[in-house]
Amino acid sequence: MLKPKLIKMKTNFLKAIGFASFMVFFVSCGESTNVVESGTYQGTIDKVEAEKTEIYVKTEDNKTLELYFTEGTELTQNGNTVDFSTLTEGQKVEVEIEKVGKRLDPIAVRILE
Amino acid sequence: MEEIPNFWRTEVFHPLSVHFPIALLLVAFLFKLISLKFKKEVWTQGGSILLLLGIIGIWIAIYTGNLADGIVSRTICDPTILKDHENLAYLTAWLFTAAGVLDFLVFLKLFFINSKMWLISLVTVLIMAAGSGVLMYTGHLGATLVYQQAAGVYTPTSDCAEFN
Repeated sequence: MLKPKLIKMKTNFLKAIGFASFMVFFVSCGESTNVVESGTYQGTIDKVEAEKTEIYVKTEDNKTLELYFTEGTELTQNGNTVDFSTLTEGQKVEVEIEKVGKRLDPIAVRILE
Repeated sequence: MEEIPNFWRTEVFHPLSVHFPIALLLVAFLFKLISLKFKKEVWTQGGSILLLLGIIGIWIAIYTGNLADGIVSRTICDPTILKDHENLAYLTAWLFTAAGVLDFLVFLKLFFINSKMWLISLVTVLIMAAGSGVLMYTGHLGATLVYQQAAGVYTPTSDCAEFN
């Protein structure tokens, strides 16, 4: 007959597997993004991927825009051109976007704070 | 005049690295499936080795995929397909990694899982089955990115002048 300690250990092990499986699915869901029409949108920076010069912007109507900076993207703060490294998560921004197919090209990104 | 770009571009390392884990993980799943019925070492240990190599390969493919993402996302017409491809690739990698951890536990023959060995092997195969399904769909999305949107592909000029 199994000792209570052993039974508890097995139960904990199975719980750990269950929790790990849940975490795998939770982590793997990843971020979903939205496609919007060309125009100007305000929102908050949700994520900055510096190595890809890419930002995710959460708009006021709760859409997530994935924006890859191009050579023509203008990044400004108080009217002055600033470096990409100025961008941080949580900053309020206004983005001017051109929709090309389903790709969103940022024409201008203005930091509002 | 336009020049033919160097073949060894950053975005090319993803297709170069991605096909190994696809093959390894699908065959690993078949080996492990067969091992549920036939307990020969060739199926059990062979499946484990393929699974381990496949897991290493898929994380390398994820790394090269991230490198390629930063480049092709700026040129393709529907990056939402790329985002789905990326999210499902992570799901595939985590599923097979989880299966690998369970397989390693069975390999270790830990005393507290001895009585559940068969059940854990079954769960491992079920996770690998799910992983294989997601893997095939992820591969399909990757193929559509290349063949429908020319992701990472150099398109020659209409007069092929750069090849003269």
